[in-house]
Amino acid sequence: MTLEPGQAFPDLDLPDHTGRPRLLAELAGGDPVVLLFSRGWWCPKEQRHLREITELQNEFEVAYTRIVVVSIDASEVQAAFRAGLGARFVFLSDPERRWLQRLDLLEETDTLHRPYRPTAFTLHPDLTIHAVYDGYWYWGRPTMEDLRRDMRAISRAVRDDFEC
Amino acid sequence: MGKIPKGSSRLSYDGRELRAGAGSGRCFMVDARCLRGTAVQSAYAHVCALPDDAAVLEFDHPEVQQVRRDALAWWIGLLGDALICLTTLALDEARYGGAITVTREPAPWSEDPFARIFPGTVVRSDLFCEVAPPAGPVIERRAGVAWPGGRF
Repeated sequence: MTLEPGQAFPDLDLPDHTGRPRLLAELAGGDPVVLLFSRGWWCPKEQRHLREITELQNEFEVAYTRIVVVSIDASEVQAAFRAGLGARFVFLSDPERRWLQRLDLLEETDTLHRPYRPTAFTLHPDLTIHAVYDGYWYWGRPTMEDLRRDMRAISRAVRDDFEC
Repeated sequence: MGKIPKGSSRLSYDGRELRAGAGSGRCFMVDARCLRGTAVQSAYAHVCALPDDAAVLEFDHPEVQQVRRDALAWWIGLLGDALICLTTLALDEARYGGAITVTREPAPWSEDPFARIFPGTVVRSDLFCEVAPPAGPVIERRAGVAWPGGRF
């Protein structure tokens, strides 16, 4: 599956951190999205990066933009991790690695957990990919400024009244 | 209350009963999705609002922002599968009159963050439909529609 800018990201169907079935398009709800594939709660790099993202949610909450995290953690584990972070965005749970295979995002060097390879996508409301960040190396992940820049670019493209 | 924004529906509350539309009691605007579709019968609606017209705050009031954050952070998760829907109660494009959380079974209402603003009353209702809970982290309203309704 090609996951490059301009391509349509598949409409993931996974349970959220409460166990409720969700669709990515429904979560987008007509807004730009930051979609983060995360190794899992145990990884110090994920903990560090998601703390940054949780800080950024204070801007997202007033900016009509969304954050969605996907990992192999079970829903109840995600719920606890999310609560510890103080996050108010959705986590999607894929312990069966159902989408991991289809998206070809397996991190092959972690044979213990077989997690998602840390990868971030910024998406238009219709799930068209704007940018991709390979976060296998920590510095490959989007900084908060990268995400602000992408959300600004997407919002400018999709909000008719962005520049009155 | 004249013309209401697209994505809103009217709901009236007299302190004991809820009615769709502008009936007796105080009239609010709710997320229209909550009243559109197949209603769950004998649901439990925790109405955190008062019939008194003086019970009003602005949506931009810090505490009205904070209860929406709390709903996203833990209230929705606490309710789990019991949750049918939730909506704030708008009086107009700027003013908040309360909120309703609707469940299939009695819930820990004493924890309801919206009850910190206006006290809650449990009302049995056949009006409300199942709506996927808001994804967050957005707490802002859209063109005057009662949070979490509407979309651009």
